[in-house]
Amino acid sequence: MLKFLLFLAPAAFAADPFTFAEAQGLLRTHCAKCHSGKVALGGFNFSQFPDEASITTRSKLWARAANLIREGEMPPPGNPAVALEDRDRFSTWITTTLHKAACADGITPPAFPLRRLNRNEYTATVRDLLNIPVNAGRNLPIDGAGGEGFDNAAETLFISPIHAEKYLEAAKIALDYAMRDPKSRAAFLTPTPDARATLTALLPRAFRRPVQPAEIDRYVALFAAAEKRGDTYDDAISYAIQGVMMSPHFLFRLENATHDYAMASRLSYFLWGGMPDAELFKLAAEGKLADPEVLSAQTVRMLKDQKSREFAENFVGQWLSIRELGRDIKPDPKVAGDYYETEVESGIQYEPALFFHEILMQNEPLTYLIDAPYSVVSSKLARYYGMVPTGIRQQPVRFKLPPGSHRGGLLGMAAVLAVSSYPTRTSPVLRGKWILESLLGTPPPPPPPNVPELKEHEGGTPQTLRARLEQHRANPTCASCHNRIDPMGFGLENYDSVGRWRDTDAGQPIDASGVLPDGTKYNGPDELKKVLFAKKNQIVRNLAGKMLGYALGRGLTTEDECAVDQIVTAVERDGYKAHTLITEIVRSVPFRLETKQ
Amino acid sequence: MKPLSRRTLLRGTGAALALPWLEAMAAKGPAAKAPVRMAVLYMPNGVHPDNWTPAGVGREFVLNKTLSPLEAFKKDLIVATNLWNQASKGGDGHYVKTSGFLTCTTVTKTLGVDINCNGVSMDQVAAQRSGQQTPFPSFELGVNPVTTGVDRNVGYTRVYGSHIAWSGHTNPLAREINPRSVFERLLRSTRPAGNSAKSDAQLLDLVLDDAKQLRTQLGRADQVRMDEYLSVVRSLEERLERSTSPAQRAWKPRVAIDPAAKPEAQPKDYADHVRLMLDMIALAFQTDSTRIATFMFSNAVSNQNFSFVDGVKGGHHSISHHMDDPEQMRQYQLIGQWHVAQYAYLLQKLAAIPEGESNVLHNSMILFGAGFRDGNKHDPHNLPLVLAGRAGGRLNTGQHLIYSPDSPLSNLYVSMLDAFGTPVERFADSTGPARGVLV
Repeated sequence: MLKFLLFLAPAAFAADPFTFAEAQGLLRTHCAKCHSGKVALGGFNFSQFPDEASITTRSKLWARAANLIREGEMPPPGNPAVALEDRDRFSTWITTTLHKAACADGITPPAFPLRRLNRNEYTATVRDLLNIPVNAGRNLPIDGAGGEGFDNAAETLFISPIHAEKYLEAAKIALDYAMRDPKSRAAFLTPTPDARATLTALLPRAFRRPVQPAEIDRYVALFAAAEKRGDTYDDAISYAIQGVMMSPHFLFRLENATHDYAMASRLSYFLWGGMPDAELFKLAAEGKLADPEVLSAQTVRMLKDQKSREFAENFVGQWLSIRELGRDIKPDPKVAGDYYETEVESGIQYEPALFFHEILMQNEPLTYLIDAPYSVVSSKLARYYGMVPTGIRQQPVRFKLPPGSHRGGLLGMAAVLAVSSYPTRTSPVLRGKWILESLLGTPPPPPPPNVPELKEHEGGTPQTLRARLEQHRANPTCASCHNRIDPMGFGLENYDSVGRWRDTDAGQPIDASGVLPDGTKYNGPDELKKVLFAKKNQIVRNLAGKMLGYALGRGLTTEDECAVDQIVTAVERDGYKAHTLITEIVRSVPFRLETKQ
Repeated sequence: MKPLSRRTLLRGTGAALALPWLEAMAAKGPAAKAPVRMAVLYMPNGVHPDNWTPAGVGREFVLNKTLSPLEAFKKDLIVATNLWNQASKGGDGHYVKTSGFLTCTTVTKTLGVDINCNGVSMDQVAAQRSGQQTPFPSFELGVNPVTTGVDRNVGYTRVYGSHIAWSGHTNPLAREINPRSVFERLLRSTRPAGNSAKSDAQLLDLVLDDAKQLRTQLGRADQVRMDEYLSVVRSLEERLERSTSPAQRAWKPRVAIDPAAKPEAQPKDYADHVRLMLDMIALAFQTDSTRIATFMFSNAVSNQNFSFVDGVKGGHHSISHHMDDPEQMRQYQLIGQWHVAQYAYLLQKLAAIPEGESNVLHNSMILFGAGFRDGNKHDPHNLPLVLAGRAGGRLNTGQHLIYSPDSPLSNLYVSMLDAFGTPVERFADSTGPARGVLV
């Protein structure tokens, strides 16, 4: 089979797939006019594909068809629309067929593309290289995201003219600080002035690989030029190091290789968001990072290091969209109560990452994300949640939740509840969408291009939000998606727009019940968690895909999904333990860039 | 509306101090013609469709409610009606209409892997041909950082919703959102370059060698990235060289900047932040540090809370989906009007800076617009667009120009590029200059 990099539609595995005959039925009913017989608009003619196996010969074409149908772009406006469920089952048929074929064929991982360090990676790398507690990257532009939704995706790490200017400035700021701090000087300068020795020790760390003597010579020459100009030793060595920090060998991650140094960097940027430490460099030098057992041991060691908090923050902040809190999403101070008290706001923003980090550190089950006996809170945040903060202070710590706290798991966290609310009020739609997208990995398709007007029924607009949404769902165009979205969100109505518990809203008792499309009924957040717990495999699969995408810094291909299958199987078998997920990702074919299975 | 805190505003008409030598120079003889400047202010989420278009046509027109803050500048305006951006018709409701706003092309649908806007933005066409004349070829400014993540509902990376300036098909330009950083860049550029600029250039030489050598070891896709790095380092180096060799330097700062007027780095208040960024555009134009600026009030789909505007309660994007509800529409109109008032603030600021016998506004053209009209429909027909300033006398202002329905937006850009002094035969789907814009 031809190898293509296919980037599949989301929700690729969620619905019950069509059979070949059912798919043919849909195509004949809706697509025949333009895509069969002698007509092949867009180069697509389904009559050329007599059986299921034949579609895998044109996988790119069919993957595109899956996307267009799923998102409702095909059939084009003016033709009878395909029902949402059929759209899902049709696209799932294509993706699972292509998936099976790809997996049977073995995984050939794509290259690990060259990319610059993103803003956070730059900061962490400079911090470790010079041993300074300074946020050197703070003036760099903030990076956008691609692939699975992360800002370490090679494809969206652009370089603008402003970057060159800012890198130069950032290196100066970092070195100014480092040269004045005795602790930092000791980390990268020789005890007595010796430019060559200093650069010989620094360059392999800065470039994260062994360096040639000729490379060292060039930076020693830069030092010499500065000295000749009359610079002091400090200024001249600082100048040479500034050159090192502007070099593409420092600024770019060049890790498209199976060799051990590339592996050391892939590991450290994945789990620490920064450069490898002495132990990883040593193992790379000894050629030991190809050994899967060494990889597992290193993964666990790295997770237990405090630097893995960087990973937890970057990953969770983006996976769950929490990073938008305080950026584009800001609760209105008029309704936010104590939310903006310093310790409360930061406690809310950090809680999901600290909680996730705790699961990683302790190797606890990933199902804790759905429901857990503890959270990580400060005393003020505990009080904000209506709990008595016995035994905790200003610093967020692991805190056992009392019975009836209605907290535990991501859905009880104010950050999650606020990021899926409007500034002034809650929205079951946004919250339902958040659950479908962030947790279950099945984002609803886009609304039709012209959202129809909400028709007012006789007797005027109904009073409550729930009633208005029910009215909205009376329109079949809206109902097909909102029947999935809204019922998930209703269960969280007991939390206000900044995550505080409430039993009433504007004098009315809260109705937090919901009926899911499959008829499942539940009432309130605690029962909603049970509903989600029953879907734990789907949630863990979504998490595994996201994390593999984060680890690789790119969008996943069909073949990567085969690796996800293997990872998820291992995680399930191992009782959903957090370490298993990470070690399986590290040992996976795409991460190790091994071409054989 | 809550008054802006004085603390955050720059003093006087700007942070610039007139220099005695400049006045002396001006007295020597007929001053060279002042350069033309161009800025584009982009607002997300569209406008109330019924309160935008002026009544009347040509020179006899009455501003509608949303444009009412521009009353004092009526003679300096061109309100353009019925232009549309055909290339941004399909795709999704927001991203295609943001990245395509200044390129008039259809961006490639992707979560990132084959990101491509399939064009170069109008401001960058100008910058690439004239940017050498000032320390900075162009400024890209904003208030919010790039929006996190990819939008899986519609299948686009949010990078598309966070950029309007594209220097190449695959090169969105990162924006500066910190007013103090902009101020410091301006400050540095208006001071005589010292030895540090020389030594920076020497250092960059070595970096360029590294990059060139590394490039030879890379595959083709990776080479493209390395080329990008080479090109930005080279342009920085060239700029440093220009600043250190007075003989070659065509550019002279028109005024010096008062270092004490430094704005705060991260204004807490959105309205303050917007005004400080607009102050920076005014300062950049006043000092002739750059002649081109683009500014995004916010990113596509922004749900910026506008409850600070009297009579508004809620976020921008959610209110823009007004569903024809009169109360929502009333608030939607107020938010649009607030944006126009900020635009008027910038015009006021530029008009207050004397330059030769006129002022900086006279020598500028400042476009205000959105990527679609009604936020409830995401409709790129009849875009809300106003152009202000006379581009040194090239623009025929004081008019409401009504085009035949669905005339290309790109025609307006053809006219603007001409007025700026960088004429093009065609731009994207243009069919010629926009009738009536140029004198």
